[in-house]
Amino acid sequence: MASITRASVSMPSLSTSVNQSQRRISVMNSVSFPVSGRSMIPSLRLQRGLQVCCAAKQETVDKVVAIVKKQLALPADAAVTGESKFAALGADSLDTVEIVMGLEEEFDITVEEESAQSITTVQEAADMIEKLVEK
Amino acid sequence: HRRLPAVIPTPPVSASPFPNPKSQYCCLSRNFSAALTPLLPVQLPSRMETHLWYVVPDEVKSAPLLSKYMELLPQSERDHVLGFRGDQLQKSALLARTLVRTTIARYQVDGHLDPRSLRFKRNIHGKPEVEWETKDGFCPPPLQFNISHTSSLVACGVTMNSLIGIDVEEKRRRTKNNILAFAKRYFTAHEVEHLNAIPDSELQQQEFIKLWTLKEAYVKALGKGFSSSPFNTFTIRVNTAAQESFCASSGIAVETLDSPQNLTNNWQFALLELMGSHYVAICLERQETGGAGKAFPIKLTARKTIPSVEDELVSGTNAVVTIGGSVTQF
Repeated sequence: MASITRASVSMPSLSTSVNQSQRRISVMNSVSFPVSGRSMIPSLRLQRGLQVCCAAKQETVDKVVAIVKKQLALPADAAVTGESKFAALGADSLDTVEIVMGLEEEFDITVEEESAQSITTVQEAADMIEKLVEK
Repeated sequence: HRRLPAVIPTPPVSASPFPNPKSQYCCLSRNFSAALTPLLPVQLPSRMETHLWYVVPDEVKSAPLLSKYMELLPQSERDHVLGFRGDQLQKSALLARTLVRTTIARYQVDGHLDPRSLRFKRNIHGKPEVEWETKDGFCPPPLQFNISHTSSLVACGVTMNSLIGIDVEEKRRRTKNNILAFAKRYFTAHEVEHLNAIPDSELQQQEFIKLWTLKEAYVKALGKGFSSSPFNTFTIRVNTAAQESFCASSGIAVETLDSPQNLTNNWQFALLELMGSHYVAICLERQETGGAGKAFPIKLTARKTIPSVEDELVSGTNAVVTIGGSVTQF
């Protein structure tokens, strides 16, 4: 099912692109936030010194990661971070649409198909979710 | 790379796994050893023909063979392959690139064509195309191709002139979401009705996969990217009166929402069941019609291949069963 039409030609090796500090955040937070449940916990504006990027909140990223792992049947300890590309993890177009559907249910949003098609990484999904949730 | 000259007296002594194909045509040794046999050259498809080539990744086990395939790719494509997580994903990505390069090379458009020498580019919407070398007197052929792969099957369709889109999927692929909920969200009302009318859940799931592959094939044939044709803006219609599902005589057509009265006649479809395990959907730009707007059937030649090891013509056998659309197999 995956086609060459959308995959990018060059991709960074996943092992070198994982940011050490991001991994640490992810480990700290994965226990504290529930994965299921429709309502977002009102955001806890903790001062996490390691969170340098002003993109989506870590909890959003974590929820996206959980949904991706579930859809692609990845083991719980699989290294999946914001930079992880869906296609590289083995998602074909049907998986991607199912992931988006899972995100719509989890965050109570509607994602236009045009936007859905442009999401290629966990971070992009998380950023898009936050934009939609803000509305 | 070094482009091989059209005629040479003896095969060059080189590390190339693709010596002069004119030196031998028989390459059907099943016991793979270190030396690759030459790619069997093939005639270009005629204007009315579609060629389908496929590889079964599970049948390609030899590590030396896979390394040879890797050597066919430019660095950027090797990096792309290695970017996939895990051996199985890397293997099917490698086989997809190998299949497209070796398949196009067989058509020997310009004397010999070394699979490594092919360049690809993307059109403005991201659809891959061959970037032929421009040189004096060389008119690139209007060869069209499209690839699709799952971990268990890699396929490439080739035509002359006709835009083509193909999509493959395992018959028993299951969605994580409920099929009707998914269809309501992403398909059109007619398609939801079509699925809803199927009482058996196993059959319903298979129909869903058939619809999905047909819709994917259509968008890929259009080549304008998925965002230009969201799935809920066009309906795949099956022209059977009383039957609820596809059968070999059923016509398949696409109807776009913005011109509902007007079944889009530009596109014709084939739906195949491959090896009893996969669905292959093919969408082609219609070249000519017979009398009264009726389309000619799709003339299909299907070959299973392990590039540079063996080819097997399978059209007309029970490895390739037409389950939708009008197809004659050669």
